[in-house]
Amino acid sequence: MIDALLLDCEQTEGGVNLLMKSVDLGSRLDVVPLYELGDVDLGAYRGLLIGLHADQRYLLARKSQLETFLQGGGTIVFCGHVAYPFLDELAPYQAIPGYTVDDLEVARASDHPVWAGVDPRHLTWRRGVAGFYGRGANPPPAGARVINTLGRGRYPVDFEVAPGVGGRLLVHAGADLWSYTDAGNSAERMVPQLFDWIAKGEFAKGEIGR
Amino acid sequence: MSLAVVEGGCYYHHETIHAERFRGRFDRAFYAPDLAEGDLDDFTAVMVADRISPTVLRAKRRLFLHYLNQGGTLIVLGENQAHTWLPGVEWTFKPTNFWWWLDKGTDPGHRIPNPDHDVFRYLPQRAVVWHFHGLLHPPAGAVPLVTIAPEMGGGPDGTLLYDHPGVGGGKGRLIVTTLDPFYHNGSHFMPMATAFLAGLLDWTDATFRR
Repeated sequence: MIDALLLDCEQTEGGVNLLMKSVDLGSRLDVVPLYELGDVDLGAYRGLLIGLHADQRYLLARKSQLETFLQGGGTIVFCGHVAYPFLDELAPYQAIPGYTVDDLEVARASDHPVWAGVDPRHLTWRRGVAGFYGRGANPPPAGARVINTLGRGRYPVDFEVAPGVGGRLLVHAGADLWSYTDAGNSAERMVPQLFDWIAKGEFAKGEIGR
Repeated sequence: MSLAVVEGGCYYHHETIHAERFRGRFDRAFYAPDLAEGDLDDFTAVMVADRISPTVLRAKRRLFLHYLNQGGTLIVLGENQAHTWLPGVEWTFKPTNFWWWLDKGTDPGHRIPNPDHDVFRYLPQRAVVWHFHGLLHPPAGAVPLVTIAPEMGGGPDGTLLYDHPGVGGGKGRLIVTTLDPFYHNGSHFMPMATAFLAGLLDWTDATFRR
């Protein structure tokens, strides 16, 4: 079994190229063009990485394939803003209305292996600028574990949930987590920890309600 | 007199086309993978949103060329690899500097060689000054609208936006840019990209939707 399959959307600013060429993580990853998903046997993979540039209308058309993958115990990681809910646990993105810098501060809501040892300040700030990590939330469904929040309004920017059909779903309402490969600080840890978490195939600390 | 937009099913296309800010500025939206024979025939102008799968756009290339051949106006935004499917378009890679604005007083190199062009009655010149993705090299007959000064790394003809009436020796008009405002506006993250699109759409309203 291969740890992950990443759907390539032929766009810059997605972190795909960095990840593909990384010797350790790249060797645990296959990459296929998004529109070839229908021809892929997802049974060969533990995880499916879907990034911010994905055509979500296409993903919605592939919903039953995604659900079959989850049903078989697969893990889906989605980064981006939900526009077309392509799984039952996804709901349309809500930006923080009229956000200011204070609304963009990342705070840990619960421990998660992917974020272990990651300093939230390294997520909040990049070169003194806030907002790269997230500016809103994909509203989590009931029973989800909220991992990180934004600002005083505690907007759930990251959550994990056990989908009704089975498997695991991790959702980040921002740019691709795998684009932090060269962050140069503790944010880098998210990328190998994401692969390890997918490979391990267990829920983070305790049970997640359905 | 009407304007169509071609989009790629990404969240930022959905947000830009359907959210309140620009709602009603496009008379019709076509999902690029479903674009069919005759769809574009009745529109005075067609905008191709930035960051659609270049593979999909190349697959629909004949429809766009047919539209130009009929005398249509095609406005093609950035990160679409337009140089691989549109007449006269040449492009070279240039590393994107997302951080130019952190140094106050820095001249990023943008120049407006034809300030009397109609588009600048609606598009504020300052709204074109943000990071860009590579340089276009306009062919003979094209009117450069935003260039990068040679001393700022633009070379002899580095251009971010140009207008090419009579493109390919026909009746069509091609406007092409390397700027990607749907992505940034639809991601709620770069006010200048939103200002650029607002100006561009004021121009398309006045020119193609009267």
